[in-house]
Amino acid sequence: MGVRMILGEALVSVRRNALMSLASTTTVAVSLFILAVFLLAAVNVDHMVKTIEGELEVRLYLSAGLDEAALEDLRALVEALEGVTEVIYVSKEEALATLRQQLGPRADLLEGIDEMNPLRDSFRVFTQGPAWIEHVAAAAAGLGGVEDVGYQRELIQRLLPLTSAIHFGGLVLVGLMVIATLFVISNTVRLTILARSEEISIMKLVGATDWFIRWPLLLEGMLLGLLGAAIAAIGAWQAYAWAVNGVYRAVSFIPVVPVLPLAWRLGLLLCGLGAVIGGLGSVLSLRRFLRT
Amino acid sequence: MIEFYDVSKSYPNGTAALHGITATIPKGEFAFVVGPSGAGKSTLVRLVYRETLPTSGYVFVNGVNVSKLRPAAVPYLRRNIGVVFQDFKLLPRKTAYENVAFAMRVVGASPKEIARRVPATLELVGLVDKGEAYPAELSGGEQQRAALARAIVNHPLVLLADEPTGNLDPATSWEIVQLLLEINRRGTTVLMATHAKAIVDAARRRVITLDHGRLVRDRQRGDYSQ
Ligand SMILES: Nc1ncnc2c1ncn2[C@@H]1O[C@H](COP(=O)(O)OP(=O)(O)OP(=O)(O)O)[C@@H](O)[C@H]1O
Ligand SMILES: [Mg+2]
Repeated sequence: MGVRMILGEALVSVRRNALMSLASTTTVAVSLFILAVFLLAAVNVDHMVKTIEGELEVRLYLSAGLDEAALEDLRALVEALEGVTEVIYVSKEEALATLRQQLGPRADLLEGIDEMNPLRDSFRVFTQGPAWIEHVAAAAAGLGGVEDVGYQRELIQRLLPLTSAIHFGGLVLVGLMVIATLFVISNTVRLTILARSEEISIMKLVGATDWFIRWPLLLEGMLLGLLGAAIAAIGAWQAYAWAVNGVYRAVSFIPVVPVLPLAWRLGLLLCGLGAVIGGLGSVLSLRRFLRT
Repeated sequence: MIEFYDVSKSYPNGTAALHGITATIPKGEFAFVVGPSGAGKSTLVRLVYRETLPTSGYVFVNGVNVSKLRPAAVPYLRRNIGVVFQDFKLLPRKTAYENVAFAMRVVGASPKEIARRVPATLELVGLVDKGEAYPAELSGGEQQRAALARAIVNHPLVLLADEPTGNLDPATSWEIVQLLLEINRRGTTVLMATHAKAIVDAARRRVITLDHGRLVRDRQRGDYSQ
């Protein structure tokens, strides 16, 4: 049995079962679209959490009068600490400039302070995640040349359980959605196969082998899943682009994941998912008809 | 050739449909299976194309022990057996021509072969000008002709017919049986389960009578009741 013939059978069968195919494709498209919305939401919440986490840092205030070599030695020591990803040196002059900028119109408060800058040189230390901050702070406090350690203790203590809850909850939710989607799609495919039970029994009657029956239906299931997934992907893409645009306009400080390449990655994922579940659903639903 | 050796069949629900059937239908013979409703005629036919397996005993078709056949070999057994039923079992979304061609495609016939043999077979059953009609557009007799064409298009050695005239008026029934007899004359072994007394009496062929799952009578050139 040639490939052309199998493809032909599948296409003809999709066409002649137009109504059933339409209903199934719609079901697949809708359920995958809902899954896509959940995935996009999860990805963005994750992104938001990561952004906030990324802005958390440990500030090491340095003793006055460290020379260049001592500074480099200390930086090397801090960089070697477990969990540290980046160390940025901030001189007290830079710190003052930043402060002035932050004060904006009230910068006159700092009038005349340049001569006797009360700020200290410091390291901004970034970590692999908020869980590392306390650890890094404690370890750095013991280093020679570090006078003082500062970090947003309270914020971190509140944020940590929240972010892990968001991670866990998101994972569970997406997992449940994936399972529900699998169920809906395979059930849809099962119905299209059940609608063919008469046809399948006649094929068997005239001596069709199991694979002769299976191939076109497998292909049909994949086609159906793929088509539904493509519709869902395009829909999700458009909807997401629209939503991102809206967020930028209304609340531009909220970090959103850019539409590209996220949209086509999601599209690929959906198409793969649709095709695999469609095909698998077909083959599994066929089991009760074959091998007698 | 079809052989039954001490065949019994009980369905999973406990119904005993056949008891100790032994019979041989030689190559090229035409045999009726008759008996009251529930006697086991359909069960006997199903055993031949391995729709069901016997509970005990053996069924041979063209020398092959059907009850020992691997599942993967069943399609190849069925390619040597044509089957027609009371309800025709045509694919509703295929035309008469496509239904017949389908049986050939299943066995991997070439398009050329299909284009040659399908019209010839439709002509044999008297359906040439209805090839493009869908089953719903055909009368019962025409549908049975199409089903018959499908059953014989691959030149099976054995043709099974389970009440092929059950849904047809007497005149049409007789035409279908004439076709079966013609196919038999061309060398195909035919086994036909039926209630049609008039047909059995008129055909003067072998008659196997079942009653409550037992073979109670087996006559050459017999009739329905005596
Ligand atoms: N799939 C099945 N499961 C259980 N019992 C069955 C099944 N098919 C048939 N039987 C039983 O087996 C017995 C024989 O049935 P079968 O269909 O072979 O009779 P039949 O001679 O063809 O009858 P009819 O003339 O009404 O078609 C009956 O008692 C019937 O109820
Ligand atoms: Mg019957």
